[in-house]
Amino acid sequence: MSAITEASQSSVLDVVRRALGRRNTLSPAPLEPFVEPVIRIEVRELVERFIDEATAVRAQVRRVPDNHKLVEKIVEISAAQPGEVAMSGAELFREIDLPGELAAHGLSTFIANQPDHEQLVATLANCSVGVTAADFAIAETGTIVLSSDEPNALLVSLLPPVHIALVRSEQMIGTIDEAIRKTGGEKVGRTDPTRSVTMVTGPSRTSDVELVLSIGVHGPKELHVIILE
Amino acid sequence: MALPNPNLTQRSHAALENDVLQGALKRATDTFIERRREAITSVADWEALRQRARLVKEHTINHLDYYLEQLVTRVEAHGGKVFWARTGEDVSKYIIDLARVRGVKSVVKGKSMATEEIELNHALEAAGVRSVETDLGEYIIQLAHEKPSHIIVPAIHKTRAQIADLFEEKLREGRPNEVAEITAMARRRLRNEFLSAEMGITGANFAIAETGSIVLVENEGNIRLSTQVPKIHVAVVGIEKVIPRFDDLSVFLRLLPRSGTGQKQTAYVSFLNGARQPKTESGFEFHLVLMDNGRTRILADEQMRESLYCIRCGACLNVCPVYQKIGGQAYGWIYPGPIGAVISPQLQSLKQSGDLPFASSLCGACRDACPVAINLPDMLLALRAKAKESDIGSRPAERAAMRGVAFVARHPKLFALSGSLMRVFARLLVRDGRIKSAPLSPLSDWTNYRDLPAPGGPSFRKRWKQKDMK
Repeated sequence: MSAITEASQSSVLDVVRRALGRRNTLSPAPLEPFVEPVIRIEVRELVERFIDEATAVRAQVRRVPDNHKLVEKIVEISAAQPGEVAMSGAELFREIDLPGELAAHGLSTFIANQPDHEQLVATLANCSVGVTAADFAIAETGTIVLSSDEPNALLVSLLPPVHIALVRSEQMIGTIDEAIRKTGGEKVGRTDPTRSVTMVTGPSRTSDVELVLSIGVHGPKELHVIILE
Repeated sequence: MALPNPNLTQRSHAALENDVLQGALKRATDTFIERRREAITSVADWEALRQRARLVKEHTINHLDYYLEQLVTRVEAHGGKVFWARTGEDVSKYIIDLARVRGVKSVVKGKSMATEEIELNHALEAAGVRSVETDLGEYIIQLAHEKPSHIIVPAIHKTRAQIADLFEEKLREGRPNEVAEITAMARRRLRNEFLSAEMGITGANFAIAETGSIVLVENEGNIRLSTQVPKIHVAVVGIEKVIPRFDDLSVFLRLLPRSGTGQKQTAYVSFLNGARQPKTESGFEFHLVLMDNGRTRILADEQMRESLYCIRCGACLNVCPVYQKIGGQAYGWIYPGPIGAVISPQLQSLKQSGDLPFASSLCGACRDACPVAINLPDMLLALRAKAKESDIGSRPAERAAMRGVAFVARHPKLFALSGSLMRVFARLLVRDGRIKSAPLSPLSDWTNYRDLPAPGGPSFRKRWKQKDMK
């Protein structure tokens, strides 16, 4: 970009090497991996732990037995909000005809699959509810994991003030350690380098004023997690 | 950098006399200590995690050349642009040039100590680029034109009434009385900033060499918005932030939130990989600015190298008896507490902040609280020695006195005599069984704040002799 660019490019690495007392980069033997023992826990127990942890950080969790009840819950939560309901481009929503069901209840919907970024952001910023399907969930912290595999899930789960996340009980895993291995080992940066992931634990929060907890600063004020069993 | 109050002692006095600040500091540090204490009980073996994290950091820093090269290769392979910055000015210049070329008029910022360190906002404003801090605490600080007083909660020194006054004056939308109203007002104002900014600037908690991922840990969602709404994302990252593998993250993601805020997990952890969605749309850009700005100086000093292991959690601040009383701003720069007293003199210079390492009781609470077990007390001592060896911290009278002490200590008879004389002198000052004031500095510097107990019975040497005779 300018003269300083070229000079700095080589010089920082040179200075790093010099500080470490060498001229050429040294390839280290990699560290032995540190893997926590995986504790096999029954799905039922994982779901219960997830509910405890997520509730403790003010997420609202519900369990539903089938697709019919799932749609019913989404309609119920959405109907309490004034505006449009946005959903990610997840296959699941088409399968259960979520847009049709919401429309049948008089709710207007927006499927976030349009390519224009500015328009997408502007529309989502005016929606009241965003619905996404989680990749998986972490029981020990009550966390749901979203990724860019699901078209626009990261924005749909961020801009509207209410976020509804769906997760199937068999997607429940135990620990952050498992989650990192699942996220990193299988996907991020290897098979698809452009993939982004966000782990969500409860609604947006801050304690910046007198350490008083305040919910819904910049992200959603409400996080609803619906577990399909 | 000009400081309004350039002397650490004076700044500390001002802090001690500020009752509002004292109340805020007590509440904040007590709360954080308690939350952290509780949070670390939710992992099976905290000590094992700390030692593992330390090992990973030690390994990475000792092979920083290798891991930086790997990181850069991966980021570029993902379509990201990498810029190496020797200094803070290099960083600012790169971002300002980029803003000019792309026609960027307004920038949203996530909280980042790296950009605080180089005063990026000032540089951007001077170049005519509007730069808005979006973390609530940083937003408050920016409105007040102040510096952060804590790494995790930058506006902890302000009360809600002071913040309400500030918002009323600066935002002109009335006075928000409750914390929830303050939050809501900031949300409304900043939402418009997110939607209109052309560039988002953040730091990074971790940069992963193996995958080229940038990891950002936060609670508010402002960092998600800053990185995902504007089409250009610039991450300003200190070169010490790299870690080798994605799998190394889990240890740090357990340690960081528990140490920082006492949470098991923060609301959001984002893993970003280069420019987003190039398949569906063009125009997204990711720039990784790798910043040295004094870090290689620390790297070259083997004794001080481990100060680069820091993950900026703030735990050492909360447990520090000095920080608890003087707060962050008294440290004079943006890094307060024990870690600030260690890295500020190294990143700035001994001349600028060489007095900080002396503001410590060396009690070691910081080392115990540190999630990567950095030996802060030893480094504080080493820095004291450096300051004393240079002409900066050295005071001729102190040197002369110390030479006197050394001489006396080498001559047993003289040592015994001086002991007796001091006992006589000390007894003259005793009132009601204690020494409450001494006539002269430096003795009076001590007694101004604390009493000394009166000398006891016969001296140790005398008693030892009597024991021998029996």
